[in-house]
Amino acid sequence: MRLELRQVTKHYGRRTALDTVDLTIASGARVALLGPNGSGKPTLTRAILGLVRCDGEILVDGQPLGSRAELAARLAYVPQVTPQLGATVDEILGAVVSLRGLTRATVVEIAAELGLDLDRVRRQAVRGLSGGMRQKLFIALALASPVELLVLDEPTASLDAAARARFLARVAAIRDATVLLCSHRLDELHALVDHVIALADGHVAYDGPAAVYLDARQAAVIELRQRGDNAAWLTANGFSPGVGGWWSRAVSHAEKLALLPAALAALGGGLDDIVVRDTDRIDLEGTFPSPLSGAPVPGHSPPPRVASRETLEVSRG
Amino acid sequence: MSFARQVLASARLDLAEVRRSRWLVFCAGAYLVLATVFVLVGLRESTVMGFTGMGRVLLSVCHALLLLLPLLALTMFAPVIGRARDDGTLELLFSQPLSRGAWFVGVSLTRYLVLVTPLVALMVGLGLYGELALGQAVPWPFIGRALLISAALLAAFSGVGVLISTLARNPGRVTTYVVLAWAMGVALLDFGLIGVLLRWRVDAQAVFTLAALNPVQDARMALLSGLEPDLATLGPVGFYLAHHIGGTALYALGLLWPAAVGAGTWTCAYLSFRRGDLV
Repeated sequence: MRLELRQVTKHYGRRTALDTVDLTIASGARVALLGPNGSGKPTLTRAILGLVRCDGEILVDGQPLGSRAELAARLAYVPQVTPQLGATVDEILGAVVSLRGLTRATVVEIAAELGLDLDRVRRQAVRGLSGGMRQKLFIALALASPVELLVLDEPTASLDAAARARFLARVAAIRDATVLLCSHRLDELHALVDHVIALADGHVAYDGPAAVYLDARQAAVIELRQRGDNAAWLTANGFSPGVGGWWSRAVSHAEKLALLPAALAALGGGLDDIVVRDTDRIDLEGTFPSPLSGAPVPGHSPPPRVASRETLEVSRG
Repeated sequence: MSFARQVLASARLDLAEVRRSRWLVFCAGAYLVLATVFVLVGLRESTVMGFTGMGRVLLSVCHALLLLLPLLALTMFAPVIGRARDDGTLELLFSQPLSRGAWFVGVSLTRYLVLVTPLVALMVGLGLYGELALGQAVPWPFIGRALLISAALLAAFSGVGVLISTLARNPGRVTTYVVLAWAMGVALLDFGLIGVLLRWRVDAQAVFTLAALNPVQDARMALLSGLEPDLATLGPVGFYLAHHIGGTALYALGLLWPAAVGAGTWTCAYLSFRRGDLV
């Protein structure tokens, strides 16, 4: 399913949640929608789902968004906050199975694969399930449908590691469907997406390949211990002294590649030890310039306003 | 998927919700308590002046129902959309192939039937009790008339309730509107309006028209006009209208006007729901 948003704008009272958003999601693309709290991610996904009314135009396969119910038959959605429904698992299962023309066994099988025994909890109220069990239920309901668009809003936030791995494998195996993923988890981004759309203050701040976006945020910390008198070289190259003869410096991915051979050459026999820790540093606002290098990503300009920053660091070993 | 199947799916889900929240039991219980009280009072009075008959008991029950039914309909319908939005039902259901119209119709029909069904059971049960246990001549035509009028009155306030539900997002505001709507329905009967007339010297025709616009007043007049079309029971507005348009027209007014109010407010509510955000 190909999605085109043209000048999509949404106001909540005086607050602008989406401000003339233009973007295209190609059919079969796997797209991450990133951005900090308040950037407009949920509003954008809800606009695509037809849950909120917006100004502007949303085209599905080149045609204006017609009946929301017809569109809903072609997509599946895992909400960020799983609903606190009073209805029992069986009632929800019955309603969704009936509306989508699914078989109950398909949902039960997927839920079991994620580690949820639906037969055991069928009489329990959905709100009585743990967050992880609720999430598994809604993932199973979404993945049971053969759809053209899969909208996943923080789908694994409450899942255990095993269920998360199975979920990632299942989504990765889906072919032909367009995937729109809102996530703050790097493992999900690395595993599932090839394209990133970053929002900031209701604007599109980045719309391009995931590799470029993630590479711009790859970083490392170089720590080295030396015994010679190389303080001048180390200071000149941005290293800070620590205890026990250790010096360290945080670098971008590109700087790391240039600095490591230079350090080996300059310090030579005076080098006692060297540790390089790679990190993925993602500025969740999707804003530019990169927090480490200060260099803007080619082809994209920074958004007009930035309210706050949150940074996620994940060690990659 | 067909519209009918979508209605059925949402109705089934809402019926389960209604059963879980014990609305069905509450409605049936409220009707039953009311009926029991009036039957017992009727039986107790019978020791003094003879049992006044099932007709009289049923009339008393209906009188009380005129005050109770609007409140039940309002409190059942007014929170429905806000609650579904808050607990995530709307987000879940409307990411499925379910149209807004189908959900709206499914929920409205389910809740309306939950209000009406126990009432039908009660009235028929009362009639059968009077006939079989007390050996009374039961006025079945009056029971039919009372049921139709009650159903129309429930339709009116169900429509008003669902309109409140679409317009007010805040639960506190919903409660305020429910109380206001109910108070206007039951307080602005002709006796209240006659007070207004006397206090501010309002034109009598205007007061009668205002009273006739109140579905509770119309239902009351329609109910009473079949039995005792006198000033004491009908009240000034009913008496005036009964003598100007006749008892049959008064009955028709009591049926059609509440039904029209219900249909009108329900349509407004649906249009508002269709235009607005679901989450």
